[in-house]
Amino acid sequence: MSDQTQVSGHSLRAIGPHLLLPLAIVAVVAFFALLQPAMLSGDNIANIMKQSSLFFFVACAQLVVIITRGFDLSVGANVSLVSVASSMVMTAMIPVFGTGLGIVLGVGIGLLIGVGIGAMNGLLVAYGRINPFIVTLATMSIFTGVATTISGGFPIFNLPEAFSFAFNQMIILMLPIPLIIAGVVAYGLHFSLTKTVHGRVLYVLGDSNEVALVAGRRVKEHLFLAYVTSGVLASVAGLLMTAQTGSGEPNLGTSLVLNSIAAAVIGGASLRGGSGGILAPIYGALLIVCLSIGMNLQQINGSLQPVVIGAILIFGAALDALRTRER
Amino acid sequence: MTAHAAIPESRTSKVLKAIGILPFVLVLTCVLLALYEPRFLRVSNLINVLRNASFLTIISAGQMLVIIVGGFDISVGAIVALTSVSSALSMVGLSSMGIESAGVIVLLGCLMGLVPALAVGIANGFLVSVLKISPFMVTIGTMTIAVGIAGYVTGGTPIYDMPELFTREIGRGKFLRLPYIVYAAALVLALLWFMQNQTRLGRYFYAVGGNEKASRLTGLNTRKYIWLAYVLSALLAGIVGLFLTARVGSGEATLGSNLMLESISVAVIGGVALKGGVGRIQMVALSAIFLAVLSNGMSLARIDSKYHIIIIGLVIVFAVAAESFRESRRNKHV
Repeated sequence: MSDQTQVSGHSLRAIGPHLLLPLAIVAVVAFFALLQPAMLSGDNIANIMKQSSLFFFVACAQLVVIITRGFDLSVGANVSLVSVASSMVMTAMIPVFGTGLGIVLGVGIGLLIGVGIGAMNGLLVAYGRINPFIVTLATMSIFTGVATTISGGFPIFNLPEAFSFAFNQMIILMLPIPLIIAGVVAYGLHFSLTKTVHGRVLYVLGDSNEVALVAGRRVKEHLFLAYVTSGVLASVAGLLMTAQTGSGEPNLGTSLVLNSIAAAVIGGASLRGGSGGILAPIYGALLIVCLSIGMNLQQINGSLQPVVIGAILIFGAALDALRTRER
Repeated sequence: MTAHAAIPESRTSKVLKAIGILPFVLVLTCVLLALYEPRFLRVSNLINVLRNASFLTIISAGQMLVIIVGGFDISVGAIVALTSVSSALSMVGLSSMGIESAGVIVLLGCLMGLVPALAVGIANGFLVSVLKISPFMVTIGTMTIAVGIAGYVTGGTPIYDMPELFTREIGRGKFLRLPYIVYAAALVLALLWFMQNQTRLGRYFYAVGGNEKASRLTGLNTRKYIWLAYVLSALLAGIVGLFLTARVGSGEATLGSNLMLESISVAVIGGVALKGGVGRIQMVALSAIFLAVLSNGMSLARIDSKYHIIIIGLVIVFAVAAESFRESRRNKHV
């Protein structure tokens, strides 16, 4: 290969993802706006912002482990369990401790569950050296089972208004609260991925396990921490989504596994590990949310919507395979 | 190495190495179950267990082949659903076209039912082996697409009015007191055992999964074998779909939703290594029986079905952890 093609290929690849995805998002919005002008209404755009922020957390949860060449299939089960458990704690504790403390306890339990699920995944993947796919498949089935068992399979109602207000409806400086939290988390995650040793180790780990070992870093601890981070991010998504629906739902996270992986991968995180930054879940979440809101507006059959997402997933993975081959 | 490693292996550890602990765990489970609940030993119950184990054996055999060549097939459950819908629709359509003979309708309906399954298998194989996309992504994508199409075509309602010959004969028919599916599973077991142990094809599958690059460099068409594994997996899932449809008596888009998890569990518990290149059909069949006994035991003990997936999840973690423990010990001894 001559120098010239390498340079042009490189610069194309460098700006490619940064340009391609925003263009794709604009194209999707424009396409549905042509069919349904309501797509561009203020309410709908606010809705897109809010939904993308909620979805952003699960996409991030997925990104953190995909960087290390892993997966987290348990994000959906995590969301469901957090939704059910924190709702149960809130409804039980509020009569005893009052609204404020009840909500704090509920949120605290939710985050603790996230830490717990993440720690279990991390323990088995990093220290037990078990394939992350199998580990998270197993924890997915375990915690889905726990979520349906403790709730009896029914939604939990009577959540305090204040909870939905504080974590969903509140607006600060014209920005909905989920978007603000997403922004803070995005900044924090970006910082830890690019500016800290932990972040660098995760990328090296994804590139090659041996290199990370040779470099003398405590690989296992960092890998463990990545799964814990993923668990916590998913539990934040669970809390915010519960505030959105206003009830604890045992099947809140069912469709999230597929969509979160699709968002992270279409956003540019490579399944071969070692690449993908904070932009991947942002673009990915926006694209998937715009698509699904557009399809809803267009009243496309509910069974066909996953077909579109599935096709996009394969397309994104094919692009990824192509990129890797070039490299 | 420590002095222990130098001592020649005892007879029990040799036996353990050859067949693993699964047979003992299975026997122990059966004995405990029989002591706890005598109904377990009733012939009707045992036949029931054998039937469920047969469904699991067939679908897990396909999963095993794909894992041996270094992949995964998440779409097997979706293929079952798709086959169920397409075969039921074909049979209903054929009989409304005025074909009199039930035999012709059932035969054509089953063949047409397998067409979408085959299509999914070919697509999986193409995307994985030719385009080199991660098998996980490919099959999770085709799974979603297949489930979506099955749900869209049926509109969420089951399809009834299939010929009696299909629902009664194939679904509930028996030969020598055993349901037909048991014979089908035995046939799959025999064929795959023969393939794995006596044919070149079987060895090529192991070679491709063991070290794809080396196999390619020795002149093996690795693409072909990887592709074939996905097609066979889809076909076996399709056959399970036909039998399950006959058994429930209607075409349903939700059929087989647990089979993805269960088939992977069966394969993993049966010692099929996720890194590829390892796995024996007889152990997979044993593992299918184990899982069927376990589910049956939980039902007999009246454990809420919601707990089943929790317990299956725990069993997977345990099985894989044991496998990885054994692996790490083996590596230390080398």
